[in-house]
Amino acid sequence: MSMILYHGEPNGPSLTALAMVGETGLDVDCRPIALLRGERHTIPGLTEPLARDMGLEGEGPVLVVDGEAMTESVFLAQYMDEMAGNALQPKDAYAHWQMMMWCRRITERCAPAAAFLGNKAFASPVLAAMADAEFDAAIAPIVSGDLKQRWIETRADSMTEAAVGNAMADSTTKLTAAVQMVEDQLADGREWLMGDVSIADIETYGWLAGAEALVPGVWDNRPRAAAWAARVRSRPSVAAALARATVAQPETAWAPGPEINRWG
Amino acid sequence: MSDITLYHWEPNANSGKPMLALMEKGVAFDSHYIDMLNFDQHKPEYLAINPQGTIPAMTHDTPAGRRVLVESTAIMEYVNEAFDGPALMPDNAADRWRIRWWMKFMDQWLAPSFSMFGWKYFVGPNALKAHGEAKIRAQIEAIPLPERRTAWNKAVFGLFSDAEMAESGRRIAVGIQMLEAELAKREWLASDTYSLADVNGFNLAYAMPLSQPHLANDELTPNIMRWLRAIYRRPATRACWKLGRTPMASRVEILETDYIAQKAESEGLYQLGQLGEKA
Repeated sequence: MSMILYHGEPNGPSLTALAMVGETGLDVDCRPIALLRGERHTIPGLTEPLARDMGLEGEGPVLVVDGEAMTESVFLAQYMDEMAGNALQPKDAYAHWQMMMWCRRITERCAPAAAFLGNKAFASPVLAAMADAEFDAAIAPIVSGDLKQRWIETRADSMTEAAVGNAMADSTTKLTAAVQMVEDQLADGREWLMGDVSIADIETYGWLAGAEALVPGVWDNRPRAAAWAARVRSRPSVAAALARATVAQPETAWAPGPEINRWG
Repeated sequence: MSDITLYHWEPNANSGKPMLALMEKGVAFDSHYIDMLNFDQHKPEYLAINPQGTIPAMTHDTPAGRRVLVESTAIMEYVNEAFDGPALMPDNAADRWRIRWWMKFMDQWLAPSFSMFGWKYFVGPNALKAHGEAKIRAQIEAIPLPERRTAWNKAVFGLFSDAEMAESGRRIAVGIQMLEAELAKREWLASDTYSLADVNGFNLAYAMPLSQPHLANDELTPNIMRWLRAIYRRPATRACWKLGRTPMASRVEILETDYIAQKAESEGLYQLGQLGEKA
């Protein structure tokens, strides 16, 4: 059984998946793709493309196992962990529930906020500079109608100024709240979010690695969170993942991500 | 008295997921019915259990103390891991990944689209009819989560935009096609054995032949219908839906019909409205 991981620059969910390769020591063939050129949607050899086509994470990493596209960074992390001996998930059912609930707060609240701010700041100019024909070709193979729409909105700024303002303010609040949640969680002196190091640390760091550029000063006055981020960053798995960057500042590499909750 | 208490509304959607998972596992629990249309979930006695005021919630008394669990899919995973009984997650890691993927897809993409129709045509109008405008505005103000306040306001006062409804309608159509295609590949939704994805999916889909008769029926989606009927035949499913107290739960009896032909979309909206008349 071969595993191929198609990933973007080590930031967001791609950073999580790459770090999990290092944490688990699994034999995974890691292949970089240019997310903002739509290369995720032309991955060759997929017999089961559904999770790539309709996954909710947006332009996240794709792990291909026996032709099946697997997506969603938390679930990829669980899969890799379970293939390698289950060292990064609590054995106790309640502690496991706590870890999964933590990860859901990250994927449902922090991730859409980080992706919105990151795309606004760093992906919009790249897509806006593309020729129409080039952009149309990049999004042509995207199956999900709502993901394609997020690409179009990222390029064209079709939202009203007021709507952009609201979304920026809301996303800034949510990203800040995620860093504060880390700060609070570490109040009892623990080193890692769930006590022992776990998928929660890797997933959370993936989405927060670029937070400083999006909300300047967000780590200031949150010393426990800042020290935690430095600890995660210095893990060999994360350092190796970051070393795969092909750009000077991978924490500014963003591509359309998960949508902001439609219910408000 | 059991060590486990489940706070739930009708066997439907989020409440039905942990109810059915507990029954499939054969775990005895105290059932505590929360009448959502009566805003029981925002009363102090329930907020003392779950300060967010969301349903369902489960308490589990253990030697280490009382555990309070929220979020329906996460509760199901806890139930599967914490208690003996038939495994509702298979041994194969790729199958477990696929189950988690489908549950997230249903919970966050497909179910909110279904519930936009349910809230617009059923929950909102009925809450308004039962309580009157002044009382309901006060009830909504008391909801702890801002997202839930927005949802209730939109539902009760019919504020879902045409664009939002159209997008939800699009997603329902896409999602039903995805379910049909997946169930054409294997007996169960995400693995070769009955799993939490089926428990989750049944709670989402059991009433589709009534409320989406133009999209889900024996003509267009034979595999979905086979799957729904197979789950309905399970003893746990029968026992679970008996805990329903309103016509909402009895909709499941449509699955006793051997053949369901395609009907117009308007028939589904009529059925949702009727549900309110009977409630």
